[in-house]
Amino acid sequence: MKILARALVGLMGLVVAGAVPAFSQDREYDLLIRGGHVIDPKNGIDSVMDVAIAGGRIAAVAVGIAPERATQVADARGLYVVPGLLDIHAHVFYGTESDAAYSNGTSAIPPDGFTFRSGVTTVVDVGGAGWRNFSQFKTQVIDHSRTRVLAFLNIVGSGMKGGPVEQNLADMDGRLTAATARQFPALIVGVKTAHYSGPEWDPVDRAVEAGRLANIPVMVDFGRFVEERPFEELVTSRLRPGDIYTHTFLGRVPMLDAKGKLRSYLAAAQKRGVIFDVGHGGGSFLFQQAVPATRQGFWPDTISTDIHTGSMNGGMKDMANVMSKMLNLGMPLREVIKKSTWAPAQVIKRPELGHLDVGAAADVAVFRLREGAFGFLDVSNARFSGTRKLECELTVRDGRVVWDLNGIASVDWEQADKR
Amino acid sequence: MRWSLLIAAMLNLGAGGLRSTDAQSGYELLLKGGHVIDPRNGIDSVMDVAITGGKVARVARDIPAADARQVVDARGLYVTPGALDLHGHVFYGTDPDAYLSDGISSVPPDGFTFRAGVTTVVDAGGAGWRNFHQFKRQVIDRSATRILSFLNIVGHGMKGGAAEQDLRDMDARLTAERVREFPGVIVGIKTAHYRGPEWTAVDRAVAAGRLASVPVMVDFGTFGPDRPFEELVLERLRPGDIYTHQYRADVPMLDANGKVRAYLFEARKRGVLFDVGHGSGSFSFSQAVPAVAQGFVPDSLGTDLHTSSMTGGMKDMSNVMSKFLNMGMSMQEVVLRSTWKPAGIIDRTDLGHLSPGAVADVAVFRLVEGNFGFLDARLRRMTGSRRLECELTLREGRVVWDLNGLAGRAWDAAAEK
Repeated sequence: MKILARALVGLMGLVVAGAVPAFSQDREYDLLIRGGHVIDPKNGIDSVMDVAIAGGRIAAVAVGIAPERATQVADARGLYVVPGLLDIHAHVFYGTESDAAYSNGTSAIPPDGFTFRSGVTTVVDVGGAGWRNFSQFKTQVIDHSRTRVLAFLNIVGSGMKGGPVEQNLADMDGRLTAATARQFPALIVGVKTAHYSGPEWDPVDRAVEAGRLANIPVMVDFGRFVEERPFEELVTSRLRPGDIYTHTFLGRVPMLDAKGKLRSYLAAAQKRGVIFDVGHGGGSFLFQQAVPATRQGFWPDTISTDIHTGSMNGGMKDMANVMSKMLNLGMPLREVIKKSTWAPAQVIKRPELGHLDVGAAADVAVFRLREGAFGFLDVSNARFSGTRKLECELTVRDGRVVWDLNGIASVDWEQADKR
Repeated sequence: MRWSLLIAAMLNLGAGGLRSTDAQSGYELLLKGGHVIDPRNGIDSVMDVAITGGKVARVARDIPAADARQVVDARGLYVTPGALDLHGHVFYGTDPDAYLSDGISSVPPDGFTFRAGVTTVVDAGGAGWRNFHQFKRQVIDRSATRILSFLNIVGHGMKGGAAEQDLRDMDARLTAERVREFPGVIVGIKTAHYRGPEWTAVDRAVAAGRLASVPVMVDFGTFGPDRPFEELVLERLRPGDIYTHQYRADVPMLDANGKVRAYLFEARKRGVLFDVGHGSGSFSFSQAVPAVAQGFVPDSLGTDLHTSSMTGGMKDMSNVMSKFLNMGMSMQEVVLRSTWKPAGIIDRTDLGHLSPGAVADVAVFRLVEGNFGFLDARLRRMTGSRRLECELTLREGRVVWDLNGLAGRAWDAAAEK
């Protein structure tokens, strides 16, 4: 009798709130994200569907899955349901060492406080660690984060410690970098070179050598743009197809000619297969570059943040904000999602991520597309006005709710108390 | 030359943006047309706030835009003193076994404060007298957020596990000495997480507080019959001491008829203060909703920010403030309990207000209307219709958060340089 009464209350709760009945222990799904508009670019899904999760994996994506089959139900009506985002340019090798910048230093951030609230479930730390200190990065950050953390190993053995450390050609060893990458194939997905100010091509060439040896892509932050190393040569001949140039809308990139027309080599480089990544950061995104470039059809292949302490509170803020910028620049929503999920997963050769295949890890993000008058800042404090903004409502990592802005996966407290 | 052309371009922008005038004179920044709530000064109306040299220069109606180098349009928004979070955990570090004292459960503050309008955080017991210097070097000196501290009565601080149960490491005299070494930065004593039957932890914290003339904040740890909560707030604590985790399920709050127990009002009358200290385990709507409805409101809206609460029901200060708005507390009261009141509690009356000459720590909030949900620490939901969203945060007059670019300039005007 008591059980029946509890079940009734539970069912009433379900009907009223569309959420969790607490009594069920043995239902087939752990979580059902119900009634949202699913965008899953890999599987060509772009319509209202339910997403069922069991055992930390996607169990079903279909229309009309009965809520009684799930222990917990999240009401996603009016919202977009997408694969958990991959941010392939982040700095999360945080630490407390003085003068260590992005490599056990104070310019990097612990990921979990920044990822889940914007729908990100995987970040790639790009170059914080080199082959000498990857183990420390793994022990200190990767192993203790709930966010999935992958890495591009810096071609500099000591990693991204700032200053002369990153200029030391003697510490850039393609072979040792590749050896370390092969030692951790599940975690190291690429090689990074960054911040180089000299005239030589060595850092780029050695990074590419390491990438070749380990069969992984290279990501380039081009450092100082100097005559001896023309940017055009980087993207049209030095990089391989599948390698990545990050900081696409950096002011220094030769983007427009004197008449304001997009330079033709950029499209040619993209056609060759070089990947252009946003890498917004604290200094690498100008609307003066992004607006004319995108209006002339030059869009980035992957959307990423370059999150660190210098960008987290500035124009960049977080992944959802950078995606919103792309949306307001005119990129269609499904493209924005693709370039934050399935596209970056392919770029880092992790095809098991970035989609909602049945059996895939249940990393899922749910967004509200807010309409209103919004402003977006670039790194020079210039504002671009927009009418739409993505707000992350719910994030699920390995099937577990790790962010729930408005409690759409919970029951009302008064109903919970009555049980 | 470029600058003057830029200024000319910006002057043509019309309403809604940044304007500039002669860069040689006038206020550095003017927040124009916002609804100012400054409880200390009894201000609750549309006013302009002018800032120069990192300090509040003037709060008045209709300060001319021409008197400032930069003007932020705050129409339709609330302008308040920077929020003061009385209960944070920011002694972050990399030791996986050090919990909230140089450990991975604390957060580096700046990524969590400014976006929620917070400009000052009081770390509640991360450091003890033995490692306060490390905390200062590692966090306080490097943070853009103003960090103050309640020093843990445990010498090693909040390292979790047995370390926090070691009565031999709770020394009132040494704790008080460290407090006196950093007046105004160490603003109180904390005792927390104690599980034993003795009153020793509380009593030593109070003894330290007495020696150093600072308040004590108590997390009561395990609530057991040997240490009745009623005795804590009616006898053991002094007026001005703080009980945190006010709406924790363990607190004997409601009687059989659902009425708030009389001793709680008595304790408040005595001068004991109550802090929210939301955290990941210390806030239940089943306690908070009836208590607030019956007038047992918090003195301060501390978040208990740490890695387990940052993405849970707590989230951040503006979310906690929003909960109280939706439980029926007025906007003015919410601001009071997030600014001037906590500043008074820690005797930092230089903070939490917008008096001319005060440091220009300012928050600008949008009160968004809609259908919202808020979770408690047990992840149960309360629905609400209002949510505070932090638009702009100033720390010492500098913009440290700008959600929608209120203080930015239009990009195409910038391109016309």
